Order: sequence, then structure tokens, then C-alpha cells
Amino acid sequence: MQKVGIVGYYQVKLYSDANYGRYEMIFEASRGALDKAGLKKKDISTVISCTNDYYDGRTISNCFTVEVGGGYMADESKVEMDGAHAVLYGLMRVLSGNHNLAVVWGGSMASCYPYHAARLYETDPTWERPLAYVNDITSAGFQMRAYMEKYGVTAEEIAKVVVKNKKNAAKNPLALEEAQLANLSVKDVLNSGIYADPVTELMVAPPCDSVAALLLAPEKQALKITDKPVWIKGVGYNQDAYYLGDRDLSGCKSMNLAAKMAYSAAGIKDPSSEIDVAELFEAYAHEELIFAEELGFADKGKGAEINSAINGDLPINPSGGALGGNPPCGTGLIRVIEAVKQLTGEAGEYQVKGAKKAVASGQIGMCAQNNILYVLEGN
Amino acid sequence: MGRQVAIASAGFSEHASKRSDVSMPELVSEAIEDCLKNAPSVELGDIDAFVNGNMPAFEGANIPELWMTDWMGARNKPLLRVTTGGTTGGSVAIAGYYNVTAGLPGVDTVLAVAFEQQSQGDTSVGLASVAYGEISILNTLGVSYDQLSRLLSAGAAIGVAAYQATTYMNKTKTHEEDLARVVVQNRRNAAKTWWAHLKMPNLTIEDVLDTPYVQYPLRYGMVCPASDGACAMLFTTEEKAKDMCDIPVYVNGVASVANETAVLGYDGSGSAQVDPSMQLGAIRSAELAYSQAGISFPRKEIDYAEVYAPFPNQELMWTEKLGLFEEATAPEMYKAGVTAVNGELPVNCSGGVNSTNAIGASAMERPAEAALQIMGKASNQVPKTVHTSIGSGWGGSLNLITLMAMSDQPQRKWR
Amino acid sequence: MSKMTQRKSLEYIKKDYKRTRTLPGSWYLASYKFKFNITHMKPFLEKLKEKKLIANQCSSCNRVFFPPRLVCGKCFVKPDKWVDIRDTASVSTYAISYLKDPETGEVQQRPMVLVHHDGADTTSIAELAPDVNVKDTYVGMPIKVHWRDERTGGIMDIEYYDKVDDDSDDLRYKK
Repeated sequence: MQKVGIVGYYQVKLYSDANYGRYEMIFEASRGALDKAGLKKKDISTVISCTNDYYDGRTISNCFTVEVGGGYMADESKVEMDGAHAVLYGLMRVLSGNHNLAVVWGGSMASCYPYHAARLYETDPTWERPLAYVNDITSAGFQMRAYMEKYGVTAEEIAKVVVKNKKNAAKNPLALEEAQLANLSVKDVLNSGIYADPVTELMVAPPCDSVAALLLAPEKQALKITDKPVWIKGVGYNQDAYYLGDRDLSGCKSMNLAAKMAYSAAGIKDPSSEIDVAELFEAYAHEELIFAEELGFADKGKGAEINSAINGDLPINPSGGALGGNPPCGTGLIRVIEAVKQLTGEAGEYQVKGAKKAVASGQIGMCAQNNILYVLEGN
Repeated sequence: MGRQVAIASAGFSEHASKRSDVSMPELVSEAIEDCLKNAPSVELGDIDAFVNGNMPAFEGANIPELWMTDWMGARNKPLLRVTTGGTTGGSVAIAGYYNVTAGLPGVDTVLAVAFEQQSQGDTSVGLASVAYGEISILNTLGVSYDQLSRLLSAGAAIGVAAYQATTYMNKTKTHEEDLARVVVQNRRNAAKTWWAHLKMPNLTIEDVLDTPYVQYPLRYGMVCPASDGACAMLFTTEEKAKDMCDIPVYVNGVASVANETAVLGYDGSGSAQVDPSMQLGAIRSAELAYSQAGISFPRKEIDYAEVYAPFPNQELMWTEKLGLFEEATAPEMYKAGVTAVNGELPVNCSGGVNSTNAIGASAMERPAEAALQIMGKASNQVPKTVHTSIGSGWGGSLNLITLMAMSDQPQRKWR
Repeated sequence: MSKMTQRKSLEYIKKDYKRTRTLPGSWYLASYKFKFNITHMKPFLEKLKEKKLIANQCSSCNRVFFPPRLVCGKCFVKPDKWVDIRDTASVSTYAISYLKDPETGEVQQRPMVLVHHDGADTTSIAELAPDVNVKDTYVGMPIKVHWRDERTGGIMDIEYYDKVDDDSDDLRYKK
């Protein structure tokens, strides 16, 4: 795989109810990323957007975003998955040699629609939707229960993930204000409202409004644009079976396979020692532990034993992760951006010292059916 | 630099207005079955990655590829979903191309699937909700819903096409007979294509002109049907394609370029296109794709074209804008039979979108059919040998044009 | 075929299932909200009350946008200048819609036009005056704004467009 560099990024601050118009937000993100890299409109050769028709309440949700996303007369397309998958398509386009600068933007405004109700449209319309017993929250309940039962993990250990991530979010000025909880305790997490036992309110990534944008360029151009590009060393993506009964919910096979693909591309043999920081899209707190195990950071069932604080052995989600705010379609993209910040030393208060290699992930589907993983390396 | 990409096979499901005998995943399965039948040495297990796309709002299922994982054979395989509205199929095919050309480790053979089962959903709701957000905004700016419903009827795809038709006819001094002639050619071609929807072997120009107007200048007889169907294409590397089929079709140029929004801009800001038949996006797409493919004289070098045209005026317009004919000469070419099956430059021998429109799939059926013509496996095969062909797609009011240029020779290496 | 997915052959599917199970379901768009910002529209809407039309202009490419736009797609910047434009316009293109009255069953023919204001570089969708005969509409027809009597600062202050007599016969191309 040739070297592709991330040369610019921009993220609009996460709001639970943003005082923004949709197009204004998209424009701010794309224009902001271009300005950060010091580029002009004519430098853009391709634009990949990431929105979802059901999250935006529009058929063809990229229909009116061509101008505001910078796509006028540029090679343009839309990925309807997570923002991290849009980065993948941008990466492919740059690797093809047809394009010299790809703008990838993604995100939506969760304040405009009932997020968990909209996710119900992802279920199988014949068997699961009429009964509505499977939605994203209850399936997360299945997964958390399966994980806890199989490995004897307690709810307290999972609540600790929430405490850590919300504390980290307090240091991140772009995180959701409601999620910036520096003084949260394990008890608070367990005592918050029950969504689907054992999943409680604070264990769910709060949907919010934001759009983020990222710029990709091939090696030669990347070095011209910036002194501190971040290289994409490997990428892996994979899809698991749909029906929850067909999967081992205590693990995440698609993340495992994605990690294998990404590690082999990046030449990583021992992930727990080679990787300095991880930014994972955990839609629910327990997913962070499952992902960490599947990524080879710990043995199965031992995810909770990793010291994943900002100054720990292997910091996971120093930015607060998706628990610090989850703009649908944008979260995976923001994870990549946060990993880039860590590698370029721009993370400020939540900077991990001496971070050289990072992983960032994105996911869609019930219980993280489809996962994507990036291995990034600083210059 | 990317790898050379080849199409090893392409397949279709049967198209009809209501495919109530199958569910959405089974429809996709049908297309994949047909696609793999054309390349007997390939099994589902040989496929490394998948690309999938449709217009989710038309069927009421969000991200349906999660649900149809097993029907595609995509379990524990990489999968990417691309949707861009009317051009979804074209975008999916292009994404399939990029999947292979990028050269990610372990991704060599990619199956791209596009589908639509419109009978499952309410197409008019699907189309209306394209601009539902914009319409609500206009409403807060003081436009009454009564007036908006009238504006909306002109703002949907047929409205855009009607606007294009009016300016095109005005500019080129063409008449309704010229439009009807295109329809007749398409529907007669469709009668010879096994998977097509509207098969009318005995249609005449008078029949078309007898139908009432939907929206001036377009009549009922000129408008595309709403179909259920799916299409699949198999992309792979140059080396592997040689083992998979006799005549690999090389993808040499791809582009998908959009102009600014037309008719109803974002936040009610109107259209940036004073002349809707100008089609800057199509011109730019053609420029990009042809320069990648090394086509300098499209009129001379392209042997076969599949143009995405739900409405006949668009077929005339785009054959010109994509460089196949000189400005304002397309109607004469249709009259002279240049575009017929045995003509000099056959266009839409599959019947085109005008005869079969499963929205998400139809933009992929164009490059698929254009590839089959090169392979010599199309059901309405043209008598002459096809060396270079193109397949285009068009989407909605922003005029996003996807274009794929294919040839039986790999890309020239001077690029 | 892959063993993992256990796909059935096509014939099997067709033989066993004559009809798939159908279940009702709908997309509740009413539960959605749509956010937008009208800061860039405000000066334009205010001026409508005074029967004046203004448009914004991109100082980079000098294109004039009427109605005002948030972003100039070509230059990818916000238009920053305001310019006055005239209330005369021409028909950029049109389509005739046939709307059936649900009560009387009468089919109403209305031309929906794209209006290109003199001095602007973009067009907007609008209606013509009710007294304009459908058959008289043509591309390039000169028209003029018909103001509503009571103006409230909304887009509908422009009630519709009146036809202006066109004396340049050579331009005329009727359908």
C-alpha cells in the first residue's frame, strides 16, 4: 500500500442542540479543514460525503450539499455508513492515482430527529421491526450481558469505562458539554436510568450535532502541504452476520478480522506494545472493552484490566470517545481526527506523551456489525 | 499509481413493476446468481470485498446491506456502501472500480451490487422527501403549503426533466416527434432484452404522441416505468480477469461530477443553472473520464453507449454533452438510424432507463450492459464488434453525472 | 457456492415462495425537524417590505445570487456583497403541470417557470399571473414582479410574475 497522508482536519464542536443550519455546519467543517491546510477550492479533486437518509429526513441526503461541501465540479460521491468508512473511500480514490486531494466530510444533526427510533429502520422489516424487540439499545443489552456472563466481568468494571471517558471528555473542548463530567463516579453510572438492563443511560453514547472534515493527499502532495502529515499505514474493514443469534456476542468477529487486515498491512506484530494510543468508536461502554480485546490489547475477558487512562499504559479514547458525544455518521471520522491530533501533538490537555502509532475505529449496525480500523503513524 | 481494473462479469435480476415473488435480499441474490453464471470459474468464496447500494428511503429499510449480508455472501468480508440517489448504481460501480484499483492488501475481486424494489415502498413519498426539508424551510419563509405542492410537482425528477426538455427543444428547434422517436427505439430494443421491464415491440411514434401530458412537454408514453430489479458486476484485477472470462473488459476511466443544485437550491436559494440543459457536470465528467481512458475523439473512438435517460429528451441531450454527437444534432442522428442496433453508434440497445428503471440499479445497468456488449454476451448484441463503450448515470436536481469508460484494451500507460 | 452462507438456488426460491410476507411500515417524517439559518436571507427579506429586491454577490467570481445563497459553490466562500437588482425578469425555462382538482375533477394547467431576474446569475422557481394563457408561455418571455398588497417580509411578498409585452418579434419562438 502506498503512503497516504492526512493533511488537514476540522471538527465543529459537538452540541446537543446546535444553533446552526445544516448547510452552515457542513460549510464550516469543509472550509475549516481547507483553511487549516492552507488550500483553495481549486485544489480539491474529490469529495466524499457521509450522511444517512434516515438520519437527515431526506431522500438523497447529499443532494443539496454539493456546494457547501466543496463538491462543485469535483469528483463527488457519498458513503452511507460511518464517517470512518467515508475516509476509506477517500483513501481508495487517492490510492488510485486519479486524485491529489480528497475532502471527506461526515456528520448529521441528531437534534433534528429521534435517533434511536430512526435506527429501528435498520432492522429486518419482516421479522424484527414489527415486534420491535430488537433495536440498537436492546441488542447492546444482549451484547453486554453475554460479555459479562462469559468472562465474569462486572457492571462496575464497565461503568469505570464511562467514568474514564467522561473525565477525558471534560478535557476536550470540542466534546459535548453534557458529557463533560469530571466528577462522575461509578455509582452515578450504575444508578442512572436503565435503558435496557444492564445498559444504563450513561453507558450510551449521547447522539448530538456535529460535522467533521478530513483531507487526504498522496505522499508527494502531503509533504508539500504540511510538515506534519499523519500517514495511513493500514486499514481493515469487515462485516459480520446480521442476525444476533448467528454471532458470538461476547466478542466481535468483524473487528477481529478488520484488525488482522489492518495490522498485516501496517506490519504490526504485537499491537499492545507497538500502538501508543487508540481511539475507538464505542457506541456503548462495554464495546470499548470488547474492541480492546479483539484488537489484541488484552486477552479475552481481560479488557477491563488495561490501564487505559491518558497517562496509562495504553490510552484508549483520551478524547472521551463516542461517550463524549456521538454525532451519527460523524463519530468514526472524529475518532480518526482525534488520533491524528494525538500523533501531531495538537491534542492539548488530553495529549498522550510521545504517541507515534495510533489506531482509530468506526462502526455501524446493531452490536457493531460492521467495523473499520485504521493504523495511523506520525511523520 | 492504481492497478488496472477489469470487469469479469455482469448480471441482472428479472425486472418487473412488482417482484412480489421475492424479498429484497432474494432479488439481490438473483442478480448475483446471474453474474456468477457468466463467470463459471468464480465462486462466492473467491470474492474478497463487496460494494452495495440502493436508495434506502424508497423501501423503508435503512442500511439494508446489514440485513442482506448472508444473501450476498458477504459474511465476514469487507463491505462498503455507497448511495448517491439516482446515480447510486453508477456510484457503486465506480466504488467497485476504486476498491480494486486502490490495491488494498487482500482485496482483488470485488462484487458490486445495486438494487431497488420500489414496489415495497412508496416511490412518491421517497421522491417528495428529497426536498421535504427544503420545502419546510420555504414554508417558514412564508410560502404556503398550497403553493408549495404546486412547486413541488415541478421540482421532482420529472419537473427537472421537463425544464430540461423545454430549453433543449427551444435551443435545438426539435419537436415532440423527435422525443417520441427515441422512446420507440428504446422500447423496441427492450423487447429483445431478457431482463427489461417495458417491452413494446410494435410501438409507433403515433402511439406515444396519443398519450396525455404528465408535464409539458413530456407525455405518459415517454416516461420511464418504476421497476423492481437488481444488478451485479464483478470487478477484478487484470491478471485474474484473464482466468475468469474470455474477453475481460478493462475499466479505463471513471468520473462522477455534480453541478450546482438546480430548480430548488438548498435553503430555498434557487437554481444556479440558468439553462438546465447546459449540463456542465456532464461535460466535466466526460472530460475527466475520457482523459483517463485516453479517448481524444469520443465520436470516433466510442463504439457503443449506454446513456442514463429516464426521459427521451435527456438521451438526446446527453449524447451531445458526453461528446458522442455535435451540439443540436442528436435528433437528426436518431432519425437517420445512426443509434439503432445496426447503426454506426448504437445507443441503449438494452432499452435504456426509459424501458426499465429500478432507480438504485439502473445507473449500474448502463455500464454493465456496455461491458456485456464488449464481451459479446448482451442479449440484444450489436452486430459490429465493440471495442470501446461508455455507461453513464444521472441523478436528480443537482445533475450528478457518473461515467464509466470501458474498452477491450487496457489503459494506455502514458498517463 | 460458499458453504457458509448456504444460499439456495433460484428455482428453490421461486418454487416455495409465491408471495413474500408484506407488513405495513412508514417513514414518520413528521417526527423530524429541519434546521436552517436565515442570516444570509435576512437583509433580502427585510427589503421585500419596501418593494425592493437585493441579491448577494460573490466578490471572487462576481456572480449575483437571487435569491441570496449561503455559499458560492464555485469559489467555496460566503458571498459578501449586496447589490440591488431590478424587478424585471425573463422566463429561463418552464414546464406545465396538470393538477386535478379533487372536488370538481377539473384539470388545472399551470406553467411553473424558472425566473431569471435581470442582473442576477441564478434563477428561482415561481408562478405566473393567473391571467397568462398557458399557450402563450415561451422561453425568454419578459416578466415583471407583481407585489402583494400587504407585505410581511416573506418570499411570498412576490405574489407572482406579470407578463410584459414583448415587442421584439424575432426573439419569439412559440411552442
